[in-house]
Amino acid sequence: MSRKILYIDPLECTGCRNCEIACSYIKEGLMNPQKSRIRVVRIGATFDSPIVCRQCVNAPCAQSCPVEAIERRGRVWVVNTEKCIGCGICVQECPFGAIWLHPDNGTAIKCDQCGNCVRHCPPGKLRFIDPNDIAYERGMKHSMKLKELLEEKNEL
Amino acid sequence: MSFKYRGYAGEIIRVDLTNNIVTKQPLDVKLAENFIGGAGFITKILWDEVSPETDPLSPENRLIFAVGPLCGTGWPVSCRFEVGAKSPLTGIYGDSSCCGHWGPELKFAGYDAIVFQGKASKPVYLWINDNSVRIMDAGDLWGKTTGETEEIIRRDLGDHRIQVASCGPAGENLVRYASIISQRRAAARCGLGAVMGSKNLKAVAVRGSKDVKTENPKEFYEFMKEIIEVYRNDFYILDRIKFGTPILVELMNEISRWPVKNFQTGVFPYAKEIGGERIRKEYRIKDRGGFGCWATCEKPVQVKNQPYAGIYAKQPEYETLSALGARLWIRDLDAIIYANELCDELGLDTISTGGTISWAMECYERGILTKEDTDGLELTWGNHEALLELIPKIAYRKGFGAILAEGSFRAAQKIGRGSEKYLMTVKKMEIAAQDGRAQKSMGLAHAVASRGADHLKAFPLVDELGREEPIKARFGEKYLPEMAQPLSPKYKAYEVKDGEELCALCDSLSLCKSSGTCLPLYTGQIYFEDMAKILKLATGMRVSGEELRRAGERIVNLQRAFNIREGLSKNDDTLPDRFTKIPAPEGAAKGHVVELEKMLDEYYGLRGWDQKTGLIPGKKLEELGLDYVAEELKRLGKIPF
Ligand code: SF4
Ligand code: SF4
Repeated sequence: MSRKILYIDPLECTGCRNCEIACSYIKEGLMNPQKSRIRVVRIGATFDSPIVCRQCVNAPCAQSCPVEAIERRGRVWVVNTEKCIGCGICVQECPFGAIWLHPDNGTAIKCDQCGNCVRHCPPGKLRFIDPNDIAYERGMKHSMKLKELLEEKNEL
Repeated sequence: MSFKYRGYAGEIIRVDLTNNIVTKQPLDVKLAENFIGGAGFITKILWDEVSPETDPLSPENRLIFAVGPLCGTGWPVSCRFEVGAKSPLTGIYGDSSCCGHWGPELKFAGYDAIVFQGKASKPVYLWINDNSVRIMDAGDLWGKTTGETEEIIRRDLGDHRIQVASCGPAGENLVRYASIISQRRAAARCGLGAVMGSKNLKAVAVRGSKDVKTENPKEFYEFMKEIIEVYRNDFYILDRIKFGTPILVELMNEISRWPVKNFQTGVFPYAKEIGGERIRKEYRIKDRGGFGCWATCEKPVQVKNQPYAGIYAKQPEYETLSALGARLWIRDLDAIIYANELCDELGLDTISTGGTISWAMECYERGILTKEDTDGLELTWGNHEALLELIPKIAYRKGFGAILAEGSFRAAQKIGRGSEKYLMTVKKMEIAAQDGRAQKSMGLAHAVASRGADHLKAFPLVDELGREEPIKARFGEKYLPEMAQPLSPKYKAYEVKDGEELCALCDSLSLCKSSGTCLPLYTGQIYFEDMAKILKLATGMRVSGEELRRAGERIVNLQRAFNIREGLSKNDDTLPDRFTKIPAPEGAAKGHVVELEKMLDEYYGLRGWDQKTGLIPGKKLEELGLDYVAEELKRLGKIPF
C-alpha cells in the first residue's frame, strides 16, 4: 500500500513556520497558526519540527470517531465536515497531537497532504516520503559510517 | 471591534506600572495612516509623551513595543517587532528592532502596540493571553538570564508556545547598553533593556490565537510567492542565506571597512579565522529563522573544544564578530562565540560592549588606563580572557565594569586624561562595524542617524557591493558610476536620504531590513512602489509609492524633531576625527578620510533642512503634516529663520 508521510529532519527544519503560513492561507485565506494543519514546535537550541498528521494505517482518529467522519481518500485520511460532530475524540486519540478542532466552527481539522507547505518550505527539505525510505536513508548513512570506520582500522 | 484597515489588530495596550493599571485603547486610524506602525508609532508616541526633562531611566519615560501591519500576515520576513524609548545611552530618540516569533504572537493576541509608563514597586512581568492582560509577579525571575527567564515563564504558565521578550541582569542593573532578548534574537541598541530594568519590568510574555486577515488574501498570497521566487534565485541572496551575516566578514575585510583595534585600521589579517566560511564548516549545526523567515540568520553552533565547549543557539552575527572579534584584535573564534552567548544571556548589546571595551583597550595601549584602573586586567589587544571577564563585570556593574557599564562616552568623561580622544562614538553611541573611510555613505549615515552612530537607519547598500542595477532603476543612469563606488563621496547624500526613508518604512511595516528588503533590495526587487502594493493588498490602505516615501520622510523628520527638542543640532551630526582627519592607513581605503562636510551639506539640502544649523524649517514640517511639531519647536526657538 502506497503511503507517504510529511517528513523533515529536525536539524534541517529552520522553525520558520512558512509551512504554517502556507497552510493557513490555502485552507483559510488568512493567517492564524491555530487554524493551520501543520504546526511547528521549537525546543531548546537546536530542535525544530512540524507536528503534522502521519496518515496512520490503523488510524486511531478514524477508528475512534463515533460517527465515522474521518474517511480514507486515496492515501490520506480526510475529515468529512458534514458528518463531524465536533466531539473531539479524535483529538484525544491521535498519538501525535496532529488533529485539532477548528477554533471557530469546532469541527476536526487535519492535514490532507495538499502539498502547499512543501512548496513553501525555504530549505526545501519538507517532503513527502515513504517511511521505508527514511529507513533506507538511515541504513545507508549508518553503513557508510561503518565502512569508514573499518577502513580506518585497515580491516578492509 | 474591527479596525478600518486589515492587517492591523486595531488595539493598543497601555500599562501604568506605578499604579498597576492596564487599559486598552483603540488604535487611532490617523496614526496608522500617517505613521504606518512599528517604529512610526514609537516615534509619534515618544514625541507626544516624552519631554526633554524626562530622564531616560525615570518612571516618566515610555517604553513602547510595537509591530506593523505586515507583522503576523506571513509576508516573507515580516516577523519583527520594534522597541522604543528615550535612550539611556544617547539621551535622545531610541529604538531597536528584533526578529523571531514574538512580534507575530502580539498580533495574534490582538494588539499593535504596548506602551509602558511608570515604575512597578517590585519586579513584574506582563502576561498577555489574547484578551487577558495581567501584571504578574517576577520576584523569582529577577536576576535570571534571558534564556532562563523564557524557560521559567513557559514552564510556569504551562504553554510552550508563549513568546517572551525579556531583559537580562544587565538591564536590571541599568547598564546603558542593555538589550532586550527574545529567543536569542536581540533588540540590542540604545539600552532599552535598561529602560525595562528601570521600570522593574522583567519580561513581556505573549500568546495569541486570533486571525490576522488581509484585505485581498488571494493577491497578497500570489505576490508573496513572486517575492519568494527572488529569494530562491538570486545568487547573492542564496549565499547570504547559506552563511548568514558572517559572510560579510571576509568581504568587509577586503574593502578594509572593518573596525579593527577601535578603528585604527580597517584590515584584520586573521579575518579568515573568524569568517563565515569557517563557522559554516566547523561550527554550524543548522539554520534557524523567525516567523516567515527565508534568510535564517540564526544558526545554532557547536564549540567542540574546551574551555568553551557547548551547543549555542546562534552564531555571532557579522556585527558581533566585528565588535567582540576584530575590533579587539581577538581571533579565537571559540571565545567570540562564547562571549556572544554571555552577552545574550546577560542582556548586553554586543556592538556597544565591544565598542566600549575596544576604547578601553586603546586607552590601555596608550597608557591612559593601567592595571590600577582595570582591577588588574591586562587590556591588551587580543586578550580574549580579559573580554570574558569584563562582560559579566559590566552586566553586574562590578569594579571596572561599573565604569564601562556607562558606555564609552560617559566612561571617558569620568576617566578624563585625554581618553576622550579615542572615543569612537556619535551622539554617545558606539559606532557599528563600518569604517566610513572605506564606504563614504556609511560615514554620512553614522553622522546623521537619529539614534546615534548607526548603520541601520539608512542602511546604504547599493554602493556596499556596488550593484548598479538598483541605482539605475531608482535614481537613474546619471548617478553612475560614482554612486556605486563606496570610496566616492559623490551622490551619497541621495543614497542615504533614500535609504533612511526606506528603512523607516521597513521598521514601521515590520519588514526585516537585513533580508525582507535588503536582499531583494540588492536585486532591486522591493522599493516604495512594491511596498505600497504590499500594504494595499494587506490592509486596503490606498497609498502610492510616493505617499509611502512621504510617510518614511515624516517619520525621519519627527525623529529629528524629537532630537532637536532635546537640544541637538548640526554640531551633533559629526564623526570622530579618526574618520574625518586621519587617512585610513592600509587596505583598499588607504589614504581616504570621510568628506563629511561636503556630504552633509548636500544631505541637508536634499532634506530641506537648514544647512547652517541642521534644524528643520517650519515649512518642511508643515509640508509633512507635522504642523503641531513646527508650532512646538517655534515656541522653543528651534526653527531656523
Ligand atoms: S490525525 Fe493522528 S491518528 Fe489520525 S491519521 Fe493523522 S496522525 Fe494518525
Ligand atoms: S517551512 Fe520547512 S523549515 Fe520552515 S518550519 Fe516548516 S518544515 Fe520547518
